[in-house]
Amino acid sequence: MGAWRHFPIFMITVPLLGAVLLPFLGYVRERWVPYAALLPLGTSTLLGILLIGRIPSDGYLSYHMGGWEPPFGIEIRLDYVGLFLMLVVCGITFLALVYSRHYIEKEVSGGRRTAYYVLYLLMSGAMLGFVATGDIFNLFVFMEILALSSYALVAITGNRNAVRAAFKYILMGAPSSIMVLLAIGFLYSVTGTLNMADLAGRIAESGYTEVLIVSYILLVVGFGVKAALFPLHMWLPDAHSIAPSPISALLSGLLVEVCAFALVRITFSIFTLRASDLVMGTADAVGVAAAAAVLYGGIMAILQKDLKMMIAYSTVSHIGYIFLGLTAFTAEGLTGAMYHMLDHGLAKACLFLCAGNFIYLKGYRRIEDLKGAWSQMPWTCFAFALASLSVIGIPPTAGFISKWYLILGNVEGGKWLYAAVLLAGSILAAVYCLRVLYYMFFQAGKEGAWEEYWHDAPPAMLAPVWALSLATLFFGVFSSLLIPSLLKAATYLL
Amino acid sequence: MKRVASLLFIVALAVLLLYVVAGMPPMGDPDNPTATHVIPRYLERAEEETHTVNVITGIILNYRGYDTMGEVTVIFCALAAVLAVLGRERRGVIHGFVDRSEVPSSTIVKTMVRFMVPFIILFSVYTILHGETSPGGGFQGGAVIGGSMIIFTTIFGLYESSRRIPLKVRASLEGAAVMGFFLVGALGLVGGGNFLTYAWPRVSRSLHPSLVVWLTVLVEVGIGLGGAMVLTSILFAMIREEEEIAPSS
Repeated sequence: MGAWRHFPIFMITVPLLGAVLLPFLGYVRERWVPYAALLPLGTSTLLGILLIGRIPSDGYLSYHMGGWEPPFGIEIRLDYVGLFLMLVVCGITFLALVYSRHYIEKEVSGGRRTAYYVLYLLMSGAMLGFVATGDIFNLFVFMEILALSSYALVAITGNRNAVRAAFKYILMGAPSSIMVLLAIGFLYSVTGTLNMADLAGRIAESGYTEVLIVSYILLVVGFGVKAALFPLHMWLPDAHSIAPSPISALLSGLLVEVCAFALVRITFSIFTLRASDLVMGTADAVGVAAAAAVLYGGIMAILQKDLKMMIAYSTVSHIGYIFLGLTAFTAEGLTGAMYHMLDHGLAKACLFLCAGNFIYLKGYRRIEDLKGAWSQMPWTCFAFALASLSVIGIPPTAGFISKWYLILGNVEGGKWLYAAVLLAGSILAAVYCLRVLYYMFFQAGKEGAWEEYWHDAPPAMLAPVWALSLATLFFGVFSSLLIPSLLKAATYLL
Repeated sequence: MKRVASLLFIVALAVLLLYVVAGMPPMGDPDNPTATHVIPRYLERAEEETHTVNVITGIILNYRGYDTMGEVTVIFCALAAVLAVLGRERRGVIHGFVDRSEVPSSTIVKTMVRFMVPFIILFSVYTILHGETSPGGGFQGGAVIGGSMIIFTTIFGLYESSRRIPLKVRASLEGAAVMGFFLVGALGLVGGGNFLTYAWPRVSRSLHPSLVVWLTVLVEVGIGLGGAMVLTSILFAMIREEEEIAPSS
């Protein structure tokens, strides 16, 4: 056991420590804050990369906080899938932070900028801790930080719409947090433990009582709100489209997925699968909701006039994809869901950052305003196009690979209807994405809408956008790097 | 329609929860899972293992210290959220205009507050430092300091108050709680244990108890200071907002 054993805990705590040190730096030298904020996230990314290959693909790394063995102390449990998601979180948060500097200088007034970076780091650290933990109360603690920081980040520009969207988000988010806490309380009262693995063992012993059934339902609804699963998604479109673009990228590309992942962890490692009608019954309900989400999100996205609103509704649809992969309960379906978390995270972050570029340079939010955009902002437009292809699922992008596995998983699970819904969702995605691309590349802009010469966003904003869009291409072409180990991990979970 | 739907939802939730309560283990039964699984070890061995007489302190700072680290981060996050929405009080501008937060009050009240506040703070220092042996601890002590700042500020106003605890001090100490945890956690690694290990395996056995107690006190002081600064900063931020709304004369 080398020093790498301690890496996961530092991946989580270093951004948190960075966040508490920033206010002082903000007091001394406010100009340095955007650069200093990169340091902790860079460290986390590095530690995560060094961890690759250290975790057995059919097992997990267990870290006992304070040296107390699991049911008594808190355990960090990191399996291959968890590390994979942590790396996705690190990578995307780092890129969106690079992007943030120019954008925030324009959108957020002076005194609040330090608060932005503080909240940003808290949110990133909380997502990492959320993914890695093996203790259900600890999960809740990180969910608190996550929720609190995301409410504030939605409202940070301080204009009326932003505050209203944030308030709507709180109105949905706070009850969902309460439901999760209640469920944890119920679980504790009947098992006397908070450790996930220990919970699974004690539940297997005691059988499924009413208390457990209700707490599972509460957990599904609670995390369903946070993950914006279809009938519970009402807060998402406003919050995601009105937040500053880098935050939209994080909320849409990472936060909802991390919350979906928490539900996966709870389902697979506490209420062990198949052993009970409970999980299967709930899974059927979730499957129906997810199928509805795919179609509803797609149709609503087509109807939107606002670019960021369209991308936000697309997220509703894609959360449906992820849940359909999970409810298939096949290794392929799970692999598809995990891979979809990756490529949706990359593509969605890229789309939101591109939309941010248009807002930053021109103040254009409506899709119609983008007519002829490529004549002035070709770099942004091409990145947008590449990410759109991934959202639709056209090869060779990563979106194709994940959708392939999602459909395969549902077919294997005998769910032909859901496979058809997934295909239909892709067609809807093609409609809303291609319309934007058509406007961008093949329509003439209005007189005076765009200057004749190239005047694209500054490099610090283009580099993250391109890194993300090229990553969707990379993970599409070299999917064999990840798919086998994900399949192995998925089989292990089932 | 919306009202009916929300009413139905609430009723359904209430029925569900009542149903659960009926199925829950009876309260206070010594055979409950909560009383037989994890708790006995805490009750029996906490004093010897964590060197804190107060078992609650032992649990929240030691066995489940990582959760507490998360919770102090939540408190810090609350401050960051307030600052993101309201912004900090402006540095140096307070001199420029009339401080409206001051409530005109009689000499008797002013003198009493001036007399009381040091004692309140003294009491909170006691609460913080003896958290491991008696009821209390960093959270409580920090809240008491924050309370004393509220009293002081309502009577003497923001200007006087922020002279006592200037922005410089608050900006550097707001994160003291998280920093304290991180420091102790990292020291645990140096001592050869895991993150947040208080009883260092590498240090000789004779040193253990006092070391553990000192580290516990260090964390408590961090929580107390951090909590107090966060509360004070939130208070100041909210006062400034009111001044901005009022027309400046």
